[in-house]
Amino acid sequence: MPRTYSKAENRTYVLYTIPTLLLYGLLFIFPLILGVYYSMTDWNGISQAQNFIGLENYRNLFSDKRVVNSLVFSFKYAVSLVLIVNFLAIALGLMMDSKIKFQNTFRSLYFFPAIISLVVVGLVFDQIFYHVFPRFGEFFDIEIFKTNMLGNRDTVFWAVLFVSIWRETAVPTVLILAGLQTVPVEYIEAAVLDGASYVTRLRKIIFPFLVPVLSMNLVLTVKSGIMVFDVIKAMTGGGPGMTTESIGILIYKKGFQEYQFGMASSLSFLLLAIIAVISFVQIYALKKKEVGQL
Amino acid sequence: MRTQNSLYRIAIYAVLITGVLIILFPLYITLITSLKTPQESARSFFALPGTLYLDNFASVVTKAHYFTYFLNSIIVTVVSLTCEMIVVPLFAYAVSRNSNKKYYRIIYLLTIFGIFVPFQAVMLPTIKLLSRTNLLSITGLILMYVTYTFKKGAFLFVGFLQSVPRELEESAYMDGCTITQSYRRIVFPLLQPMIATMIVIDGLWIWNDFLLPLLVLNKNSMQWTLQLFQFQFKNQYSFDFNLAFASFLLSMLPMIILYIFMQRFIISGITRGAVKG
Repeated sequence: MPRTYSKAENRTYVLYTIPTLLLYGLLFIFPLILGVYYSMTDWNGISQAQNFIGLENYRNLFSDKRVVNSLVFSFKYAVSLVLIVNFLAIALGLMMDSKIKFQNTFRSLYFFPAIISLVVVGLVFDQIFYHVFPRFGEFFDIEIFKTNMLGNRDTVFWAVLFVSIWRETAVPTVLILAGLQTVPVEYIEAAVLDGASYVTRLRKIIFPFLVPVLSMNLVLTVKSGIMVFDVIKAMTGGGPGMTTESIGILIYKKGFQEYQFGMASSLSFLLLAIIAVISFVQIYALKKKEVGQL
Repeated sequence: MRTQNSLYRIAIYAVLITGVLIILFPLYITLITSLKTPQESARSFFALPGTLYLDNFASVVTKAHYFTYFLNSIIVTVVSLTCEMIVVPLFAYAVSRNSNKKYYRIIYLLTIFGIFVPFQAVMLPTIKLLSRTNLLSITGLILMYVTYTFKKGAFLFVGFLQSVPRELEESAYMDGCTITQSYRRIVFPLLQPMIATMIVIDGLWIWNDFLLPLLVLNKNSMQWTLQLFQFQFKNQYSFDFNLAFASFLLSMLPMIILYIFMQRFIISGITRGAVKG
């Protein structure tokens, strides 16, 4: 049983919490409350005039075409990102974990995209889509590469998604690889002796040990998919038209450029609700940890 | 059986190497384009440069104030991390040693709650607040980073400190140490592995972040960070892509150099942080 602290000691402890709490209160809690208020006004973000209109903005959210469009885009984007990135991460992780040479070199190279700033990744690929791929297209006579894919409504989704995949596969792959190290070698050896096929070993031994890592990767990619901002801002700015307008981009545009501060605030809270639901699912999923624990 | 096995292996190498090529492709394009003149690029985009042409880099460094932005990024990252490592462990220490008291339980819960709120959801009112308090500057940006690294940092540090036995502190108390002394001499040194992990995770985030600098520093062009400069540079020099690629390379270079020397440290830091968070 730890001792009880003296008055002076208690004061020291309280003092220790003050600097962070001050920052947290002023720059996080206060703006959050402010945001709730703004979301119930018709403020444009600049003028003196602002009227309290209750839940009007929230009611209007789903009748706003651009809001619905951004929700559909972000969900479609997140689902595609989750499926492709996690498939790649599992496949690459398993391949790197098999008995191959240069395992560490591969790991370092595959992790590399994670250290490059998302916005720079976007800017580099923006130039590549503009200048490089069309030359590819001309040379090999591939129709879809011939024009800038970012300027075409039919291809822009996949072009932007490709860039996100390029950047976001790195961390999940390395995490899968780390997770695979928790699978006891004896289990695998015993299964091999019993004549279990590779697929059976995957299903019965390896995947159960990967459950914590997999659920982590899932949440990681869902969140970065729903909140995609940097690459889109760097490459398309939401266009052409509103084809790549994600929730984050729309909040930014409505709030800072289109004088719909109140409306954008209510959209912010919708985003918050979506992320909160995902986070709770994460906690629930992680509680059901199976055999493997890192 | 043998031949089937080696066939598998060849297939694995083929897939892995294809992946590596896809990863390195943009880097290759960036490197060769930044070393070419526009005429050379026009002739062939993919060929290696004929001569070592360094004027693009010279332009970025001299005309575009590269070093100013580089220095701004260094200041923002280093000062934010230093402040974080001073105030966040102190908070976590106080909370972990008083977890039976109401005050600490409430403030800790409040902090955990913040983890679920992404910055995008509160960016509008936060920026309005910063603008009204004249904090749309590097100072304001650093305060934002300390606030946002605090949320997850507190969670990780408290978790870590709860597993550190108190006996050492108790015996230090017997020897006449105050709370502050035992924190500085006993607890803080024990935190080193955790601090290293946090420096990797938060350092990578702060250095590479774009959204916060865009919102906080946009109107203040001498205070731009490297990432924001990149974005603005795109609009200024869209006609000269050799110059653009040279600036991309210069902004990636600090991280690439750091990664070459510390890859194990960086990878294990990210892995540990992700697993715990």
